Amino acid sequence: MSAALNETAGGWEPLIVSFCCNWCSYAGGDLAGTSRMSYPVNVKVIRVPCSGRMNPMFVLRAFQRGADGVLVAGCHPGDCHYTSGNYQSRRRLSAFKRLVEFAGFEPERFEVRWISSSEGDKFAEEMTSITEKIKALGPNRKMRDARWQSVTSKV
Amino acid sequence: MAERNVESVNKVREAVSQDLLGGRIDLLLGWEKGHYWWQSRPLFARSEADLEKLAWDSFCAVNLSRYLLEELKDHDKVGVLVKGCDARAFNRLLQDNMVRREQVILYGLPCPGMLDYNRLVEKAGGAPLEITEENGRVIIKVGSGEQEAQRDDLLLDKCKDCRYPDPAVYDQLLFSPQGEKEVTERFKTVEELEEMSAEERFGYWEKELSRCLRCYACRQACPFCSCRECFVEQENPRWQGRAYQPSENFMFHLVRAYHGTGRCIDCGECERSCPVDIPLQELNRKLIKDINELYGDYEAGLDPEQEPPLLTYRPDDPAAFSEK
Ligand code: SF4
Ligand code: SF4
Ligand code: SF4
Ligand code: FES
Repeated sequence: MSAALNETAGGWEPLIVSFCCNWCSYAGGDLAGTSRMSYPVNVKVIRVPCSGRMNPMFVLRAFQRGADGVLVAGCHPGDCHYTSGNYQSRRRLSAFKRLVEFAGFEPERFEVRWISSSEGDKFAEEMTSITEKIKALGPNRKMRDARWQSVTSKV
Repeated sequence: MAERNVESVNKVREAVSQDLLGGRIDLLLGWEKGHYWWQSRPLFARSEADLEKLAWDSFCAVNLSRYLLEELKDHDKVGVLVKGCDARAFNRLLQDNMVRREQVILYGLPCPGMLDYNRLVEKAGGAPLEITEENGRVIIKVGSGEQEAQRDDLLLDKCKDCRYPDPAVYDQLLFSPQGEKEVTERFKTVEELEEMSAEERFGYWEKELSRCLRCYACRQACPFCSCRECFVEQENPRWQGRAYQPSENFMFHLVRAYHGTGRCIDCGECERSCPVDIPLQELNRKLIKDINELYGDYEAGLDPEQEPPLLTYRPDDPAAFSEK
């Protein structure tokens, strides 16, 4: 997350942080790559062992340090490598998504998607779609830590 | 204060003194009068003389169960006076494995609701000198005379919207139950906030949270905040910075509230403890409302056998995001 794309001399480009579960969505990203599908460079992927590993603090930290949008991606319900990780995260992240919206974030800023390891095309589509939505929304200033911003904009 | 109170205090004292003086409990958690007549603070009674100070009046808002976390370190068996919210708080601690049922004797006090000093001042139009209560009315004495008001209009916020004034768990019930109360305005402010645009809501919270001193009184008062190490004090990673700025305020408030998902018993003690009146209940209640909408009605603290919503799932659960 150190290379903030946000405000370079060439204008604003969104920074999307995507937490992908190792077994499905990250592999889906790999497939997208090996199939030579392209998705926006705005998306920075962070691999997590399972969507159930997501601590909502990861999401808030991403917003603090410059993310304009955050996407969590995991295996489809029923396919979690650890059986129930995504069933748990479905409940947790649903509650959390509504909470961040209640705090004043636009719904598009934080999203969750199920992407399997065979869905390279879906991976590319979802990454493109969130990037476009965030581009349309503009930069996120909510929860942005000004101290961190001054460091990253120099990078 | 009113006769009713002298009588009922005696009844409470009678019930607990046998157990305390007979050695069935080592400590009784109750209330005693504070510095002002409109304050009742926690009483830690170990002797007959301590029990003389016992109070049970319209200002016993402090949730006593939270003190068990500390007191059970030094005492084998503790007695606690529990109103509806103290009892649900006890169940919260029980479910979190912070206490064992056999370490505690609970004396149930169906609760008529506690009064808000600020509302007394407002009604009286000045500093009240004393109050008397009868039949659901409160007579407030001020320097210039008397004011009368409906008791229900003088309740603390947390009591106005309290659905379960009777203890959900007890060993002895000391008075007759109040019955489940109908509350209509519990989610009113949440709904009003939901109606706003994202920008307006953010502005609202940014302003409200800007007063936060990060004193963590809200956490200290809360029965679900029983973590040995809270994220705000964790050093590595240091989730919570100390700087006084919006980003850190949101971090604390969103995470604290989120940690209460399906666990907050809606006792309102966090908000009542806050020295700068941050509307913490609106965050807590937003989560209660959503969890109920998404995963079925659940009232934390009512039934310790019922699985909290975030500790379970159903394969066909709905989601607040697109699952296509
Ligand atoms: S968050 Fe507030 S209302 Fe909820 S249990 Fe804790 S102190 Fe009570
Ligand atoms: S805020 Fe969270 S981490 Fe801190 S004590 Fe409460 S529940 Fe535990
Ligand atoms: S009690 Fe109030 S001021 Fe203190 S940390 Fe909690 S919200 Fe902030
Ligand atoms: S391993 Fe992918 S969601 Fe659990």
